[in-house]
Amino acid sequence: MLNRFSTTETIKHVILILGAIVVLLPFYVMLTYSFKSPHEIMTNTGGFFGAQELFLDEYCVARGRADADCMVTPWIYNYTTAFSKAPLLRYLINGFVVTGAIFVIQVIVALPCAYALAKMKFWGRDAVFALVLFCLLIPVHAIALPLYIMLAKLGLTNTYAALVIPWTISVFGIFLMRQFFMTVPDDLIDAARMDGMTEFSIIWKVMLPTAIPALMAFAIFSVVSHWNDYFWPRIVITGNRDLFTPPLGLREFKGDADGSNFGPMMASAVVIVMPLIIAFMLAQRRFIEGITLSGMK
Amino acid sequence: MMQHNRAYLWFIAPALILMFVILLLPIFIAAGMSLTDYSLGNSGAEFVGLENYEKIFTRSTYAKMFGATFRYVFVVVPLTVGLGLGAALLINSLKRFGDLYKTIYFLPVMAALIAMAIVWEFAFHPTIGIINATLEHGCGTFLEGWSWYAKGCARTFPLWLTDRNYAIWTVSFIGIWQGFGFNMVLYLAGLTSIPRDLYHAAEMDGAQSNWDRFRLVTWPMLGPTTVFVITISMIRSFQVFDTVEAFYPQGGGPSKSVYVMMFAIYEKAIQQNLMGIGAAITMVFLGFVLVLTLLQRWLVERRTHYA
Repeated sequence: MLNRFSTTETIKHVILILGAIVVLLPFYVMLTYSFKSPHEIMTNTGGFFGAQELFLDEYCVARGRADADCMVTPWIYNYTTAFSKAPLLRYLINGFVVTGAIFVIQVIVALPCAYALAKMKFWGRDAVFALVLFCLLIPVHAIALPLYIMLAKLGLTNTYAALVIPWTISVFGIFLMRQFFMTVPDDLIDAARMDGMTEFSIIWKVMLPTAIPALMAFAIFSVVSHWNDYFWPRIVITGNRDLFTPPLGLREFKGDADGSNFGPMMASAVVIVMPLIIAFMLAQRRFIEGITLSGMK
Repeated sequence: MMQHNRAYLWFIAPALILMFVILLLPIFIAAGMSLTDYSLGNSGAEFVGLENYEKIFTRSTYAKMFGATFRYVFVVVPLTVGLGLGAALLINSLKRFGDLYKTIYFLPVMAALIAMAIVWEFAFHPTIGIINATLEHGCGTFLEGWSWYAKGCARTFPLWLTDRNYAIWTVSFIGIWQGFGFNMVLYLAGLTSIPRDLYHAAEMDGAQSNWDRFRLVTWPMLGPTTVFVITISMIRSFQVFDTVEAFYPQGGGPSKSVYVMMFAIYEKAIQQNLMGIGAAITMVFLGFVLVLTLLQRWLVERRTHYA
């Protein structure tokens, strides 16, 4: 009996390990290529970390430096080229600015609305909530084209505003926070009103602190989807490299990559993917909660 | 607790205005524009009636578009849902290391798809890619008994992304790789909410095998989760774009075999400035999403009536 049981357990592990190998394969490829020299990439040699033999940087030679000065260690070359050949740092900062701005504005817009829907009584409240539920059905990517035309008419394409504006309203955020506020006891709010607090300060000084856990989950949901978003930036940012978000920068890198640039390109991919992966490793439960928030609809 | 002040107006107004301008107005604009031959930069536009829609439903380019989209959706959705459920059941029944697998399978959900698409392109590369290199190692072994494998060894293994017989399936594979961890997590949440008592009750009624327990308790209890998982997987896979654009910046793959709807909107409207036709595809796309969601609501409500 015991023996049979451990056999099924082993079979399960074998299946899951095979799955894990397929899942991890591209992560492995990405990391290993980011360490290797062009020759090792072309010939599929060098193991995981590559032999790290010095090789000649032809770009450096082309700029008229002596061969001896142009010998580089593959992994250092890959990562420094990623940052020097394309303004990767600029892309990363853009990514932080855009995802940060989107999240902050979403909260500023959604929190008061959610509070009003959950804790205030007014004429038309049900209609507003019904509208929120209806808007949940609309995928913003699907209406990208009319949004693009509206922004183009306003002369806003190729600006930070274009990257942020379509995402300023998160009906999902309103819905989520409203559901959360419904569970906050009325006594808490009444007590605050007795103390003479205005509705406005109740939202930011009473409700916001109680909502931190839900807000954290929403933050993760929001930041992950906009850090990784490629479709929308692709549409509204054309050509102006200063405004590229990390996914656009990587795509551009691919566009002009010749054979010798595979290593640096994989290094950029690592730099772009890793912040979220590391954050995920550190706070797995919260991340899974946040990303699957949409499962609560 | 009646409020007599008007503070609520200040609270809901910004959200309401943005909802109208950013979410509802564009639908009306797209609907209107889909009846014209509008281009950005032109002063006016001709009203062309339903001509754009007629093109979408008659021309072969758009037949390919629907073909590619539906092929992708109908491969990716069942497999991401099935693998998600399978992984969740296996992980849930494990004594140890369940969390480790959960973490690993969830990684692709977190990673920027555009970055991973570029990596997959390397992996699938016919000459330097790790996949064909690995397949070549299997040559001369028992695997050659499989005629497809023997053919690969004798000549070359598939070109994957540039072969029109393989392209859409390869792109679908990447979609499955990226998406099933998400469904797995939703199913794991669903599994933990099934009361233990139900399994005891089923055993009393003679459900002995694992299959009986799954058929009689687990699967019915996961019903609402499954409806939701299928709907969200469909809406997500209808919107596939990143991989297609990364692999085929022009034209939608070999013989347009990977010409999915989001890419078609992008190509027609943004690259070629044919806003009318792009808007018409947008409307058809929204129609699909609406039908799917209404179908989901209907299924969920029907279920709750019986429960």
